[in-house]
Amino acid sequence: MFKRLLAASLVVAGTLGIYTTVQAADTIKIGFSIPKTGLFAPAGPSQLNAYLVWQDLVNAKGGLDIGGKGRRKVDFVHYDDKSDPAQAVKIYEKLITSDKVDLVMAPWGTQHHFAIAPVVERHKFPLIGNTAASVALRKVKPGYLWFTTPMMPDNLAKEMTAMLKSRGVKSVAIMYNLLQFASENVQFLKPALAKAGIKVKFEAKYPPDIKDMTGMLTKIKAENPDAVLVHSYPGDSILYMNQAREVGITAKTQYVMVGPAIGFFRGMFKSNLDGIITMGSWTPTMKGTMGAGEFYAAYKKKFKGHEPDYLDSAEVFVSAQILEQAIAKVGLDREKIRGAINSMTFKTIYGDVKFKGVQNATIPAGFAQIQKGKIEIVWPKQRATSSVTDKGAWAK
Amino acid sequence: MDIFLSFQLLAAALITGVLYALISLGLNLIYGTMRLLNVAHGDLVMIGAYVAFMAFSLFNVGPLVSMFGAAVICGGLGWLAYRSIFQRMLSNSLLLTRLEENSLLLFFGISVIIQNLVILFFTADRQGYQYLSEIIEIGDVRLTTARLVVLIVGSVISIAAVLYLRFSMFGLAMNALIQNRDASAVVGINVDRVQMSSLVIGFGITGLAGALISVMEPITPVMGFPYTMSAFVIIILGGLGNIWGGFLAGLLLGFLEIFGIAATGPEWRSVLVYGIFIAILIFRPQGLLGSGKAAR
Repeated sequence: MFKRLLAASLVVAGTLGIYTTVQAADTIKIGFSIPKTGLFAPAGPSQLNAYLVWQDLVNAKGGLDIGGKGRRKVDFVHYDDKSDPAQAVKIYEKLITSDKVDLVMAPWGTQHHFAIAPVVERHKFPLIGNTAASVALRKVKPGYLWFTTPMMPDNLAKEMTAMLKSRGVKSVAIMYNLLQFASENVQFLKPALAKAGIKVKFEAKYPPDIKDMTGMLTKIKAENPDAVLVHSYPGDSILYMNQAREVGITAKTQYVMVGPAIGFFRGMFKSNLDGIITMGSWTPTMKGTMGAGEFYAAYKKKFKGHEPDYLDSAEVFVSAQILEQAIAKVGLDREKIRGAINSMTFKTIYGDVKFKGVQNATIPAGFAQIQKGKIEIVWPKQRATSSVTDKGAWAK
Repeated sequence: MDIFLSFQLLAAALITGVLYALISLGLNLIYGTMRLLNVAHGDLVMIGAYVAFMAFSLFNVGPLVSMFGAAVICGGLGWLAYRSIFQRMLSNSLLLTRLEENSLLLFFGISVIIQNLVILFFTADRQGYQYLSEIIEIGDVRLTTARLVVLIVGSVISIAAVLYLRFSMFGLAMNALIQNRDASAVVGINVDRVQMSSLVIGFGITGLAGALISVMEPITPVMGFPYTMSAFVIIILGGLGNIWGGFLAGLLLGFLEIFGIAATGPEWRSVLVYGIFIAILIFRPQGLLGSGKAAR
């Protein structure tokens, strides 16, 4: 009786095994982790949605072009890393060794990218990073990890100082979140400002879970600097927008690092967001790019009229475009893909992207400004779609 | 140092303090009467915030109205939790001895379930809305109308709740339960009814606070945890089960946060808050107004 049961289950297992291998030959499995719970969960959708839009666009064409030898559709395997880099490590190990994905794509966040770097190096899986930015990235030896971001803290500091000088700013107030990227930005910004003769009248750092900025803003108001530079993430950016208006910050240049590029911000703050400067490298109608309009339209269609996040979603889509074009050139061999990423110039929604070592060497760090409810690139001048304007008075 | 004379900061401190007091009131009731470690407390704030957000975006109803809806919904959740889980645990003397430890795990599970359900239905995207956002200037102080209203409403409700619990028959029954459970039963207090009410009222007030907070803060499924932490600090600081103590401790924490970080810097917030918390406990382990360990 038992032997018969065993034989039967072996037959079934064998059949299923054949079945699944037949399935696998049809689709490409790409794995990644996303924060669905935990502190960074609100940031997750920007990234996941961009991946999904890319998947839709690719599969609509019949799938990824595999080195010119036919197309295969993309299947995602993704798990919740609970905003925990250690969890992301376990997930990528599982994706590679147990789920046997063909390729991996990047998780969200600088710390997560760093955490899984050893995993992808060890298993020799090329990974095109997106939502990560830190000068520590340069210490990563060229191997299997690249960073799409143009927003390297030292470049940002250089461009920010240049932009402030062009506006005749003589004094600034700096507020920054203690998280790595924000702190690094300020670390490079201060010497750059000193060199340009711009005075820092106020400086304060705050923890990521800050609930009230009244103290800092009251002091800033008293100092009355020409510019207020807030290196914040969306949660604290919202707090700044509300409380700066309440306290009455009237500086004509106000910079909010991450947040205003997200569609939700324009909906929530309406005309109060006009004049706020933020990080940005992309608009749907920028010249010299590939796929920008397509990405924008597909995103809006899939997500009920919501716009993509001009920062994270755009960057994620660029990293996906790069992978797509590398595979189209050399197929699925991971070593060949690595070679392609190192050598090719990619046509993306940012424009042409070429890597030098691990860094994006062709797209400069830049800033966007919300003008009349639209996001415009205002710096650097050669990529600008509009020029920088003053921040007007807050609405009553 | 004249930052301390700033009325703007005073207003911010009062608003923060009143909200803290309101949120910890519910936890004080629940922990005081039933020794339940409600680590899902902050998630009730979150539910209240989502109720207010939904009411505003779907029906254009402001939080001053929807806060009652939030209270009812969260109170209903409390009733549900009591009838399905805790009623049995509290009446079984064997389970009662391990209730505190078990409740930690139970509520942790409830917290995870609540957060994930919200993520499923609302996505983890940040939500928010602007309501009564015109600025009012009172002397030197500039406040959005919404924050002023939150201050007034929050103060009224928390003081009313404290007075009710102090002076009403029902409030006395709750205090009796907090002091000594078995003795309360002996003098004829319907322990079961009082317990259920404290869970319902505790959850309800917290949901109401969440609705008030929704105008001031971005609404996300994970916004609750910091409030859970603060609530526990406050109820221990004020003396476990002491409603009036919790109220004062809430105000104290608000002032500490706002003025403390204005003096030192926001990065000192956790060091200040927890440092003073530990210091007070070293010199007064029963909390500011606590009166020794409550007998069981």
